[in-house]
Amino acid sequence: MAAAGLPPPPPPGAPPLSASIASPVRTSASWRESLSRDGVFYAFVAPFAILTILFGLWPIILSIQVSFTASATALKPNAAYVGFENYRAIFADPVFLASLGRTLAYTAAAVVANVAFALAVALLLDSKLIGRGRTFFKVAVFLPVVTPDVAGYVVWKWLYDRSFGAVNAALDLIGLPAFGGLASVGTVTIAILIAELWKHAGFYVIIFLANLAIRDRALDEAAAIDGATAWQRLVHVTLPQLRPALVINGVYALIQFLKTFTVVVVMTKGGPADTTNFVSYYAYQLFDQGRYGEATAMATVLFGIVAVLALTAYGIGERGDRR
Amino acid sequence: MRLGTLFAGAAVGLLLAAAPARAQELTVWHDLGDNGTQWFERLGAEFAKTNPGVTVKASSFPTDQWFGRVISALNTDTAPDLIYNNYERVIRIQTQTGKVSDLKGALGAITDKGFLAEDDLRVATFGGKMIILPVQRVQMALGVRKSWLDKVGETFPATWADVQRVAVKFREGDPDGNGKADTFAMALQAAKPRDLIHMLDLFTFGSGLRHTLVDPQGTIVIDEPEHAKVLVEFLKTYTTYGYVSPDTINHTFTDMYQLIEGGRGGMFRVGDWNVKKWDSQAIKGDFVVGPWPKFKADRGNAVVIGGMRGIAVPENSPKKALATAFAQFMLTKPAQQASLELVGAAVRKDLDTAALSDRQKFFADAKGTLVAYDFPESVHSWYPELEAAFHRKLMTALAAPPKDFEAFVKETAAEMRDLKAKLAAK
Repeated sequence: MAAAGLPPPPPPGAPPLSASIASPVRTSASWRESLSRDGVFYAFVAPFAILTILFGLWPIILSIQVSFTASATALKPNAAYVGFENYRAIFADPVFLASLGRTLAYTAAAVVANVAFALAVALLLDSKLIGRGRTFFKVAVFLPVVTPDVAGYVVWKWLYDRSFGAVNAALDLIGLPAFGGLASVGTVTIAILIAELWKHAGFYVIIFLANLAIRDRALDEAAAIDGATAWQRLVHVTLPQLRPALVINGVYALIQFLKTFTVVVVMTKGGPADTTNFVSYYAYQLFDQGRYGEATAMATVLFGIVAVLALTAYGIGERGDRR
Repeated sequence: MRLGTLFAGAAVGLLLAAAPARAQELTVWHDLGDNGTQWFERLGAEFAKTNPGVTVKASSFPTDQWFGRVISALNTDTAPDLIYNNYERVIRIQTQTGKVSDLKGALGAITDKGFLAEDDLRVATFGGKMIILPVQRVQMALGVRKSWLDKVGETFPATWADVQRVAVKFREGDPDGNGKADTFAMALQAAKPRDLIHMLDLFTFGSGLRHTLVDPQGTIVIDEPEHAKVLVEFLKTYTTYGYVSPDTINHTFTDMYQLIEGGRGGMFRVGDWNVKKWDSQAIKGDFVVGPWPKFKADRGNAVVIGGMRGIAVPENSPKKALATAFAQFMLTKPAQQASLELVGAAVRKDLDTAALSDRQKFFADAKGTLVAYDFPESVHSWYPELEAAFHRKLMTALAAPPKDFEAFVKETAAEMRDLKAKLAAK
C-alpha cells in the first residue's frame, strides 16, 4: 500500500513516471485532451497571445527582414535583398562601433547605479529609521516613474542649463565650482545618468520593497541574537533573500539602459561631440535619413545583445536560486 | 427586367452629365507650418477659379517627420499629390525613392518664366531630371535687436570687427535693461547633423566666399587663408569668445528660436520666412535686418541664398496630371504674390511689395549682394558623407576647444583630404 500523499507505484511494464511527465513530445491525442481539459484557459489566453504575436513579434520579424534589404527599396512590396551588406556596412562604420562601445559602458554604469541606489533606498524605507512618513517617501520615490518621460527630461534640461539652471545656481550658492552639465563632454554622461536615476529608480525600489516585505524576518532576529552586526546581517541574511528582486531588477535595468533613447532625444541629441550617441539614437538618425537597411541592422544587433545579456543574467540568477 | 436596367442606366448617365465638375482634392505635404498651410489654401481657392471643383489640402510636418513620411509614402505607393520643400531635401527624397517626376516638360509648357535664372534651374535639376519647379528663393540675413542697439549706442554691424564690439556690449551691457546678466550676444545652434554646417554656411557665404568645404572640382578649401579666417572666428564665436549660450552645443533650431523669441539673443539669423511672424508676434518688429558682416575689407556684405524651395510631383501621385498643372500654376503672378505675402519669398520680380513691411521688402526687393550656397551635394555624390565627418570634427572643437585653432583647421583640412580621396575612390 502506498504511503499517504504519495502516488501509487507504476504498474509492471509501464514507462517510469518521470519519463511521461518530462517528455516534450506530445501526440495529437494528448493535445486534444489538453484542449478539452484546459479549453477555457486557452480561450482567455488566445486574444493576448494573438495581440503579442501581431504587435510584438511580427514587427520584430519585419524589422529583421528589412535589415537584409537595400534601403531605397526597403518599404516596397518587392524589396531588393542584399544579404548581410547592411551588417557589413555598420560594422565598418567607426561611428557605430564607438556608439556600441559607449552604449555597453553606459549600460553597465547605469544598471549598477540604479540597482544599488534603489536597494539602498528600499532598505532605508524598510528600516525603522523612517517612521510615519514611510508612505509619503514611497510615493515620492515612485512619482517620477509615472511622470511622462519627455516632461521630466525637459525639466532636467532646464535644471542643467549652464546660464540659468538651478543646479549651477545651487552649487554657486555653496561656493562649489560650476557643473558642466549637458554641454561638457566630461559631465554629460553623469548628467543624463542622474536624470535617468531619478526617472527609473522608483520602479526598482518598489520591487525591492515587495521582496523585503515577504522575507523571513526570524532569520534576521536569530542572527542578531547570535551577535551578528548590522552589516553582517545585511550581507549574509537580508541580501541572499533579495536575490529574486536583484535578478528581476538587474535584467529589467539591463534591457532598459541598453535601449536608452528618450533622454538623449530630449536632452542632448547625441552630443556633445557624439558623447551620448547611443545605438538606439544613432539608428534613429539613420532611419530619419531613410537608411532603413542600416538602421534596422543596428536595431537587430542591439536586439541580439539585449536578448543574450538578459537571458544570461536571468539564467545566472535562476541557477543561483536553485543552489 | 431588361427595360428596367436600360432605364436605370439612362438615369445614371443623365445624372452624371448634369452634375457640376467632379470634385477633386489635391494633397500637398510641406514643412512651412501655419503660414505655409494658409498659403496653399489661398492658392487652392485661386486655382479653383480655372479648375472648378478642385480643392487643395495642405499638411505641414516638422522637417524630420516630413522626410520620413514622404520617403515611406513614395516607396509604398501612398504618395500625396505634391510635395513641397527645399531643393536639397527633395534631392534626398529622389535618392531614397527614385520616384520624383521630371518636370522639364511642365516647365517647358510655361510661357511666362523669364524670371527664373540659370542658377535657379541648375539647383532644380538633379541627375538629369528637373525634380522641382523653383517657387521661392530661400534668403537668410543677419537680424539684430533694434532696442538693444539703441541701448548700447550702436548701429547695425557691417564688419566682423563691428559684430565683435556689439557682441561684447550685448553680453555685458544689460541691453534689455532688466538689471540681470541674462543676455547673449548671439543665438545660434549646433546640435543636429548639418545644423552646425548650416550656421557656418551663413558666415562663409555671407562674407562673400563661394564654398564652405569643397569647390566644384572637389578641392578642400577650408585651410585657404580667407576660409580659414572665417572658420576660426566661427569656432571661437561658439567657444572662447563667449558670444553664445554655453549650452549652444546642444541647441537645436527650437532652442535657438526660444532664445531669439524669448528676448535673450541679440544677433541672429533671419530667414525670409521668419519675418511675417516676427513682425507681428514674438519680437514684434523689434529687429533690424541687413547683410552678413564682412571679414575682409575688399569683400562685400552679402545676403545668403540658402537654396530654393520648390514643388515636386511624385511619379506615383494619385492625380499626377492635375498636380502638375497646380505646380505650373504656382509660378503665375497671383500665386507668387500670395507666396510673397504669406511666406515672405517668391521667384518673380514683378510683384507688388507696397503692402510689405520694411523687413519683408528687404528680402522681396533683394537689392543687396546675394551669394548662393554652392550645392556640392548635387555635384559630388560623396559630399554628404564628407560633410558628416566634417561636422563631427567641428563638434570636437566645440566640445574641447583646441589651444591653436589655426593648427586645428590645418589638421582638419588634411583629414578631409584623406577622407575625400577614399570616398571618391569608392
